[in-house]
Order: sequence, then structure tokens, then C-alpha cells
Amino acid sequence: MEHRLANTSHLTLNQKKFIETALLADLRTDGRRPFDYRNLTIKFGKEEGSAEVQLGQTHVMAIITAQLVQPYRDRPNDGTLSIFTEFSPMADPSFEPGRPGESAVELGRVIDRGLRESRAVDTESLCVLSGKLVWAIRVDLHILDNGGNLIDAANIAALAALLTFWRPEISLGGQDSQEVTVHPPEEREPLHLIIHHLPIAVTFAFFNYESSVVIDPTHEEEAFMGGRMTATINANGDVCAIQKAGGEGVLQSVIMQCLRIASVKAGSMTEKIKKAVRFSLYETVFEYLSCSLSLEKDISALHNSGIIK
Amino acid sequence: MEEKPSGSPASFIDKPVIPGDVVLDLSDMTNQTIKLGGGLRQDFDSIVAMKAGTLRFTKPNKYWVETSQKRYVPCVGDSVLGIVADSRADNFLVDIKGPTLAYLPVLAFEGGTRRNIPKFEVGTLLYVRVVKANPGMNPELSCTDASGKAAEYGVLKDGYNFDCSTGLSRMLLRSPRCPVLEELGKKISFEIAVGLNGRVWVNAGSPSLIIVVSNAIMNSESLTGVQQRIMVDKLIQNLKLSS
Repeated sequence: MEHRLANTSHLTLNQKKFIETALLADLRTDGRRPFDYRNLTIKFGKEEGSAEVQLGQTHVMAIITAQLVQPYRDRPNDGTLSIFTEFSPMADPSFEPGRPGESAVELGRVIDRGLRESRAVDTESLCVLSGKLVWAIRVDLHILDNGGNLIDAANIAALAALLTFWRPEISLGGQDSQEVTVHPPEEREPLHLIIHHLPIAVTFAFFNYESSVVIDPTHEEEAFMGGRMTATINANGDVCAIQKAGGEGVLQSVIMQCLRIASVKAGSMTEKIKKAVRFSLYETVFEYLSCSLSLEKDISALHNSGIIK
Repeated sequence: MEEKPSGSPASFIDKPVIPGDVVLDLSDMTNQTIKLGGGLRQDFDSIVAMKAGTLRFTKPNKYWVETSQKRYVPCVGDSVLGIVADSRADNFLVDIKGPTLAYLPVLAFEGGTRRNIPKFEVGTLLYVRVVKANPGMNPELSCTDASGKAAEYGVLKDGYNFDCSTGLSRMLLRSPRCPVLEELGKKISFEIAVGLNGRVWVNAGSPSLIIVVSNAIMNSESLTGVQQRIMVDKLIQNLKLSS
């Protein structure tokens, strides 16, 4: 009992009261206005298909891996996309190692719904041999630091990682063209996933008086909010998924207002993700070029010194 | 570091050390008594650092490693900010960011008797003093100073509190006063309570002032004195423009 108390983060009544009174004047504790996002930075790992997203204090890492498996019987021509979450106890003392908590399951489900059921990733192109062999794409989301609004950060991380993921090319050979060869990336150019659109999750927090709404709640605000709504929406304004949690009832007009704001945010967020991805691609190409350039330089130096004839 | 193991003891004082650094060589310092604080360990004739931080020394003979971390290691005599987590018949359980919850006896208040036991809701913010900190036991707190007076200890009402590293809270308490507080104090009137456990409480006339002060403090951790002054100037100018 005592141990459990020590493991939860404690917030004071002072904080609760202050957050509520400041919100009446449209102020938030970190100096944002109600509809401002925190600073977003996207970094990419050395390997393809890994991304690290920082949204204020929140820190999430996504890693994509692919495997050849047998497809589900009812969908012989579709590859699979599955999402796994890992809540590290380092991120927040209330995360317990081992079994996934309620929030871990919810986070996985919300992102899964946004990505899979809106058919953002083209699963038909992941089919190798109908009914026999398809690619299974696995998205691992690691929560490294919990500063609030994990859903949005994890969603952005998953998208950024999916956009930079390459899978090896595959060709079919043999007499009945049933023999599968996997070409290593050195041999044949690996392929990107086909992603039709980017569903962006935008989370709103509701406070229980005078319909105060804020976007991108911090850890503190999440602790005191009455309710929460996550709208997953793409840059075209198509609503892909909505998740409403918490007891607070919300008016229809407020939901419509939230969706309008979300669609604007989704547009700017899509831009940011695409820019970061483009930048990382340039970096890889540049690294490759500078590597080969220096090699050329070395070879010419060796020529000049007469070591190589 | 391997090349010059343990130069003169003065060489490491106020310098950063990392675990494994040989800080002192006792073979050079016979006939001396030294006292070791947190983060140091004796290994035969040498004193070795166990934590990354800055080595501190006070006359005549005290050495310890000062660290900056998210968790707090309770230490007797520290003034800390605690949050009431639970109340029992004899004790309040208070969270002071330590490895375990601390006990605050219900009688540890000025003039505290069985008849007038204070009532604290869960989530009340208290300014308290650590009176016992033994390994393996829950630390014990008190709401009085050493002579039994209430002094400044007790409940902190209103305002806003936030968590920071223990290094930042020590910087805020340092004298001469740290630049960020000095500069803020010239322009804004506010109340502040800093706990050595990395918790800070701020109160001012309006919410926007509280937000400016608390954000200035949170941002000042990695800034130099000059940068802190510039940041505070900018924040205050923005505040004037917006109001």
C-alpha cells in the first residue's frame, strides 16, 4: 500500500486550483494559449524505420520491423500492420514493468485505429504470394518520458518511422514462380511502404466548468482534466478516428469546433513530418555521397603516391 | 584521469567528478580526521567518488559530492516541500520525492497536542524540515524549527508549485542570490518557497505573473548568469506587451 503510494506521482491541490483559475484567463502553466501545441522535434535513428519524437517533455521512440508471414485466412492478399506499446518505468514512476496498464492498451488501440482502419498504409502491396506469404509490419512504440499527451506524440513517431521505413525487394522465380528470393539492399534498391495519407491524432482536454478546452495537455493537465477527446484526422480533413475518454459530457458544437481546430493542426503537423522526413533523406544521401567522395580521394591519393599503379 | 591518480586534495574540490574517480589519497593525509558525505566511499587508502557531480569541501574536514537529480535523498536538516499522500492516526504520509514516503507526526507542530491535531487533505502542500533520515526507515519530518517554533514551516496556500532537479533548487537557494531570482525580484513582487528536494512553490498577484516567474525559473537551469538576466528581461517585456 505504502509502496504503491510512493510510486505514483503526487500533485497538489494548489496546482489543480491554479490550472483552473489560469484557464479562466486563457492561460496555461507553461505559457501556452489553449490552442497551442508544444514544440515538436523529430529525429531519425541510424537505422531505417526508427524515429524519436519529442513533444515538450514527452519523448517517444518508434521502431518499425518487417517479417514475412502467412496471411490471415480471410484476407489472403493483405499484409498486416500491428502496433505494440512499451511503457518504460523510467518514463513515469506509475508505469509498472511487465503487464501493460490501462493507458498502454488505450494508446495502442487509438493509434491502431487511426492508422489501420483508415487504410493509411497500403496493405495489399505487402502481399508476396497470395494466401502464402505477406509482409507483417510491426510498429514498436517506446515511451521514454511521459510529459503528457502520449497519444499524439506516439502517433507522430509511428508516422515518421513508417515514412522512412524500407523493406527489401522480393522477386518470384522458379518454374511455377513460387520461389521467393529476398534481395539484400546492396543488390536491389529497397522499397518504401505505400502510405496514402497521414492520419494525425490531435488530443483535447476538457475541464469541468464553462467548457474550457485545451489542446495537447501536459502531464499535470491530464491529471486534473475532466475528459479527453482524441480526433485522428488527416490533412484533407477526413476524420479517421475519434476517441472520447473521461466522464465529462461535451456539447456537439464543442466537438465540431474541436474537429475544425484539429484539421488545421493536422495540416501543419503533416507539413512538419514531411519536412523532417525529407531532411533525413537528404542527410542519408549526403552521407553516402561524402563517404564515396572521400573514398575516391583516398584512391587518387594512393595513385599519386604510386602505391597503386 | 588514470595518468594522475589523486593529486593534491585541493585539485578535485569544486570540480566535476564521475564514479570511480579517486578523490583523495589517505596515505598523504595521516593524522587527519575527515568526514565523508553523500557520494563518496572509502576504498583502503583512497576516497572514491560513487556519483557524478561536483566535489564540495567545507572547513575543517567535510567532503561530499553534490549532484543534480530528479529524485531526492533525504538528509537531516533539509527544508523540503512535501505533498500529503495519506493520513494515519499518528502520522501524515508525505511525498518528498524520496525513495519512500516520509512520516510527519501529527504532534510535530508548534504547540501540537493530542487535542488539536491539524487536518490536511490529500494533496496539501507543506513546507517541512527533515528531522530523521536513517537508511531502511521512512524519513521523519517536522513542521517546527529546532526550538519548537513554527518559524516559516507549515501549509502553503494558493500559488503554484512545480518540480525541478535538486541542482536547480540548490542554485536558487545559493547566496549570493542567483541572477534569475534577483532580476525577477527587481520587476515583480512574488513569494517563493524552495525545497531542497527539487520542488518550488511560487505565488504572485496574478496567474500571468506566477506563470512568468515559474517558467523563468524552470528555464534557467542550463543558462549562465548573463543569459538568465537577458531571458528575464525578455519575458518581462513580453508580459508588458501582452497586458
